[in-house]
Amino acid sequence: MNPVIRREFVGILRSPRAFGMLACLTLVFSIAVLMRWPSDASVDLSGLQSLQVFRIFGYGLMTGVIFLVPAFPATSLVNEKNSGTLALLLNSPMNGASIYLGKISGVLLFSLLVLLCSLPASAACYAMGGIGGDKFFFLYLVLGLLALQYSTLGMLISSYVQSSDSAVRLTYAAVFGLLFISLLPDAFFRGTGVGGDLAAGMGDWIRNLSPLPAIMEIMGQGSVGSFGLRTLPGLSNFVLLATLSSAGLACWTVARLNHRIFDLSRSKGVITDDRSAMSRLVRRLVYIVDPQRRKGGIPWYLNPVMVKEYRCRRFGRAQWLLRLVSVCAVTSMVLTYMAATGITSWGVETIGALLVLLQVLLVIVLAPSLGSGLISGERDSGGWELLRMTPISSFRLVFGKLMSVVWTLLLVLMATLPGYVMMVAIAPELTLQVQQVLVCLLWTSIYALAISAAVGSLFRSTAVSTSITYVAVISIFLLPLLVWLGRDAPFGFQTVQTALMTTPVGAALSVIEAPGFESYELLPASWWVAGVLSSLMFFVLGVQVWRLTRAV
Amino acid sequence: MSVNDTSAVIQIDQLTKQYGEFTALDSLSMQVEQGQIMGFIGPNGAGKTTTIKILVGLLKPTSGGARIAGADCLTESRKIKKLVGYMPDDFGKYNNMRVSEYLDFFGAVYGIARKPRLIRVDEVLEIAGATYMKDLFVDALSRGMQQRVALARTMMHDPEVLILDEPANGLDPQARIDMRTLLLKLSDMGKTLIVTSHILPELARVCDVVAMITKGKLRAFGTVDSIMKDIQQRRTFEIQLLKRESVVDATKSVQNWLDQQADQEKGGPGKATGAEAEQMVRFNTSLADDALAPLLAQLVQQGQPVSQFREVTTDLEDAFLHVANEEQASDISAGPTQVAAS
Repeated sequence: MNPVIRREFVGILRSPRAFGMLACLTLVFSIAVLMRWPSDASVDLSGLQSLQVFRIFGYGLMTGVIFLVPAFPATSLVNEKNSGTLALLLNSPMNGASIYLGKISGVLLFSLLVLLCSLPASAACYAMGGIGGDKFFFLYLVLGLLALQYSTLGMLISSYVQSSDSAVRLTYAAVFGLLFISLLPDAFFRGTGVGGDLAAGMGDWIRNLSPLPAIMEIMGQGSVGSFGLRTLPGLSNFVLLATLSSAGLACWTVARLNHRIFDLSRSKGVITDDRSAMSRLVRRLVYIVDPQRRKGGIPWYLNPVMVKEYRCRRFGRAQWLLRLVSVCAVTSMVLTYMAATGITSWGVETIGALLVLLQVLLVIVLAPSLGSGLISGERDSGGWELLRMTPISSFRLVFGKLMSVVWTLLLVLMATLPGYVMMVAIAPELTLQVQQVLVCLLWTSIYALAISAAVGSLFRSTAVSTSITYVAVISIFLLPLLVWLGRDAPFGFQTVQTALMTTPVGAALSVIEAPGFESYELLPASWWVAGVLSSLMFFVLGVQVWRLTRAV
Repeated sequence: MSVNDTSAVIQIDQLTKQYGEFTALDSLSMQVEQGQIMGFIGPNGAGKTTTIKILVGLLKPTSGGARIAGADCLTESRKIKKLVGYMPDDFGKYNNMRVSEYLDFFGAVYGIARKPRLIRVDEVLEIAGATYMKDLFVDALSRGMQQRVALARTMMHDPEVLILDEPANGLDPQARIDMRTLLLKLSDMGKTLIVTSHILPELARVCDVVAMITKGKLRAFGTVDSIMKDIQQRRTFEIQLLKRESVVDATKSVQNWLDQQADQEKGGPGKATGAEAEQMVRFNTSLADDALAPLLAQLVQQGQPVSQFREVTTDLEDAFLHVANEEQASDISAGPTQVAAS
């Protein structure tokens, strides 16, 4: 047996985190089946009830794979690289392909365990009748391929990055890109005539990078973004794309597994002020805020910890954020303009929903990445001891750190502001709704930051805190939307309303009257829930910081 | 030297730290005068870092106390933070920051105003011999360069006392010599230093006083010479002979002579051993130089072909090993004990 497989798999099995995940998953699957298990004596000949259970079960399983699988491969190679053991493996008689095979097999065996945990629930679901065995086969096939695709993607990212937290961050961002953003081109180009048949065909293929159309097809719900009675082949295309993309990603990573992976000499940094006049001019044009210019001292009116956070960040530095915000601003304006001028058949509500989702997606990707390492990053790098030795108060320390994320998130919030302004200009009656949506988005940011900072502070290692924070934030924000997907069946109106109330995202979508969210009354209860939970999270963060700064 | 001597900058009095049943520090008392460099040595887990962390206010002692420049380490932590510059073993670097930004940040955190801070950055880089690193990324520096930057950071707020945990760890010989020069320079500037290190010859060259600690207990404290005298009560001598065949006779003669002096020896008579391959006789004794002179005269009178009669110099490493071995011997007789986890 490949020794790397043995070590990886046994390592994962020994991890209390993995055990906790598997135990939780088994419990959740069992509860999901129990919730919809027939309690009366009547027989459901239509098989509707078992289909409801099957849907809950299928989406739950997909969520489990999406949340749990990417974290392990994402940290797999980078941890090995940073601890120096990858160099030892590359020096051994094992070649790159065997090392890769060993590492990915460990992750896939864990994914298999996740899927195996669902088998008893799956059998119970099958025993209720009405669902053919082929549906189960296709569900497990899609999920297996999904695990393979995300694992190969995570491993590739892991081979490029230098730290485990950036590996986790980039992998989850890529996973969300594949899951949601891949659906947008098809939704945009199909039927609009923009770009012609080629664009529509491309959009259709890109759409199938996401597992959602395939899963929805298996669940008998048509397909996401389907038009009228026409359905597109989701399952077969996904199987093909997932297989090809996994093979491609695997080959790419194996090609990187050689001595060249260490051939990275970190530049000691030539400061812009010391470069040639031409180079200075080019940088002046390319960078709005040049990160390599010589800085003046930190002014008295700025919190030094906040400035430090900005300066030592690779991700989320001003020049990148400004570019991101510009792209979002232009996209939001284009979308709104197209809706207003009738280029697309989408109403203002759909565009509003898209803007909300775009922003929420940015917040969900950015907030855990910036917030989870506020404390654990310092503890990891040894900076925490140094800061404890300085006269700076715990409050100023935490405040500076939180503000460094708050300003970033505010900038992100402002990204779609031009779109909203255009929306109000087109339909002035939407002014109040837009204001309420902006308040909801502000709460979303605060809430996401509070969860990220509090959960991240509980762990010593940045990699662990980033992974767990991502899982926590994604669960809190996306689970209510999964419950919403099961509206009418299996979840009733009240259940969906309560679930949506737990996150300001639901409220924002309901206020903007996004299709499917119009009937829910979520304000102001949703703001209260977000306020109370955010305060609770900040309290947890405060207690943890106090605990870590006091002398014991 | 009295523990209550008020001229001392650092005063540690009966410092004890317990973690449950385990005693990490046991009634530790010592003091360091202004401008002195104190070498703090002991094996891993001896309690050095625990002591340092109590001094800088990161840990609370179970009992006892410590004062730095009159400020209580337990109750006046804000004062202590301004008085002390602490350089931990772990560098504490931030990625993507240049050296000037790194120092500027710590200066700002210590509340130094912007203009004097920028001047201070240049000053500390000059002292640490790191001016050329000013615009380089901290995380791209070599270990030796990072140590210099760390020392510059420690001096940013111009503390009276510098506590350096393993400053020479991982440095190449040239960097170690540079670090030694730097420590002496800081001492000349009137700074009081506590330096821990495993590279004992380095410490012996720069330290005014040395504290040896094992299992939380202070075993020896004083100047390097006084510690040698206290710990190494027996000195080792070598007699170099011209002929190999004389080694056996010369060894017997030396042993007879040592046996005759047994009443003057501390801890029993000395022991002589011969090394024929080296044409040498070695012996250890607690006798003073004047008492040993007749031995050489006797050997010459007996016609032994003596070419050299010399003392084998002992260093701090020998003294440390002596203390550690004594401790180990007492452990074996007392049975297994816990290991410190500081």
